[in-house]
Amino acid sequence: MSVERSRLPDEIKHWYGDMICDYTYTLGIAGEKFFTGLKEGRILGTRCPRCGAVWVPPSIYCPDCFEELTEWVEVPDEGIVFSFTIAHAGPDGKPLQEPEIYAFILLDGADGGLLHKLGEVRPEEVYIGMRVKAVWAPEAERKGAITDIRYFKPVE
Amino acid sequence: MERRVAVIGVGWSGFAPQTADVSYKELMFEAATRAYDDAGVDPRRDVDSFITCAEDYWEGFSIFDEFVPDQLGAVLKPTCTVSGDGLHGLVNAVMQIESGLFDVVVVEAHSKASDILTYEGLLKFAMDPIFTRPLGWHPYALAGLEMARYLYDTGNTEEHCAMVVEKNRRNALANSLASYAADLTADDVMDSRPLFEPLKELDVAGLADGCVVMVLAAEEVAEKLADKPVWVLGMGWANETISPELRDWCRPVYAEIAADMAYAMAGIKNPAKEIDLLEVDDRFSYKELQHVEALGVCDYGEASRLLEDGVFDRDGDLPVNPSGGSLGVGNLLEASGLFRAMEVVLQLRGEAGRRQVQDVEVGVAQSWRGLPTASGAVVIFGSEKEVKKP
Ligand SMILES: [Zn+2]
Repeated sequence: MSVERSRLPDEIKHWYGDMICDYTYTLGIAGEKFFTGLKEGRILGTRCPRCGAVWVPPSIYCPDCFEELTEWVEVPDEGIVFSFTIAHAGPDGKPLQEPEIYAFILLDGADGGLLHKLGEVRPEEVYIGMRVKAVWAPEAERKGAITDIRYFKPVE
Repeated sequence: MERRVAVIGVGWSGFAPQTADVSYKELMFEAATRAYDDAGVDPRRDVDSFITCAEDYWEGFSIFDEFVPDQLGAVLKPTCTVSGDGLHGLVNAVMQIESGLFDVVVVEAHSKASDILTYEGLLKFAMDPIFTRPLGWHPYALAGLEMARYLYDTGNTEEHCAMVVEKNRRNALANSLASYAADLTADDVMDSRPLFEPLKELDVAGLADGCVVMVLAAEEVAEKLADKPVWVLGMGWANETISPELRDWCRPVYAEIAADMAYAMAGIKNPAKEIDLLEVDDRFSYKELQHVEALGVCDYGEASRLLEDGVFDRDGDLPVNPSGGSLGVGNLLEASGLFRAMEVVLQLRGEAGRRQVQDVEVGVAQSWRGLPTASGAVVIFGSEKEVKKP
């Protein structure tokens, strides 16, 4: 990921400028319910009365039917690796010391699932369709965030 | 279409990894000057409306749309910005003319990527703040994930993706606008540094600066001004959900819907036979195969065989990205779609120089908005006013 950039911001050719952009993103009705669930060690979805889909991540509207969703269901913290990638670069593009495994986990009983890390498994052992289960942070350390799940690990 | 619309002028500037000597305004001025000269119009006298395509964060401005009129000749004229890819802007320009509101409309899109010091940070800001950002992933990881599932479902392989890179970067050798032309092989791609496996360093298009400006006109004006008007025969666009968790991970449904809409408008029933040339988004190598399949040229999983058979080569039956695509020319951010449209226009006018494809009458440009979106547009262009029936 080589990007050609101006390396001499003090040269007369350029003026350096930065933007300070901090936000607090409102979780909203669905987000608050979902992340409160995570804090309790539960994964929650919303069920659509019209099409029957169970959406995870949940919303209060069905992306297919535009139906308002009010029914919440708990889905298992288990599912399959729908896709995975071996990451060799970090968020800034710089090489990682150790490769990490990122996955999209299709959760049992849900139309959808979660993007998350895989752990307790080597890259060469992972395959699409592998059954995995959430490994939760200890209850006292949970904050109501996606990272309350530490990672997903293979089910023996 | 009720009122026919044609492209009567194109102009460009930049097309380099860095354009340190000119500001974004001067890039736009240069491209606009070329386009107006090509079309034979004076923007102060002849152009009715201006549409620019830009995203505040790419530009480093709030309300970037307010910074565009002067360098386009648009001061005191109807002007607006589409916060999206250039092809979406082009679609809006066509509609302004079709509706009868205006006769001559200009569309502009550019990239000043080299001004961006924190590209990764901006991409990160495009991801869901609550579900995805806290994971601390580089956004290209989403491309790695999608590529893995796409290859799994279709049977296309990493090697086929590498062949796309070879084809496009070699095509770019005949394109003077290309920043990343190279005589490399699929093996070089396979040997390049793994980023987000199966995605490798050379599967990803590098960034480039550049600006594209187009002048569009209603039929009666186009025929008066242009020797070779290029007609807009069909167009379509669509958005999928923004949540990757809820999408189809194999099929780019946004491109299927956009293509179906455009084909219906143009009266195209058999894309593989009726289209002579495709320019599709290839900012990640696998996206080219995915988009070609979504455009109905072949079934999912069959693009690899056609690629092997040379069908997509510049001298093949259906050239794909003869310009070199984004892999060869560079990732022009929101100008990516308009650059593809410009290539189709030049090809249909027979003005593509060393990369000219023979016997082209109908060409298609397709855009994808980039990570983490699943949205895009398709525009069909013709050198004649109708698609000839086979
Ligand atoms: Zn529904």
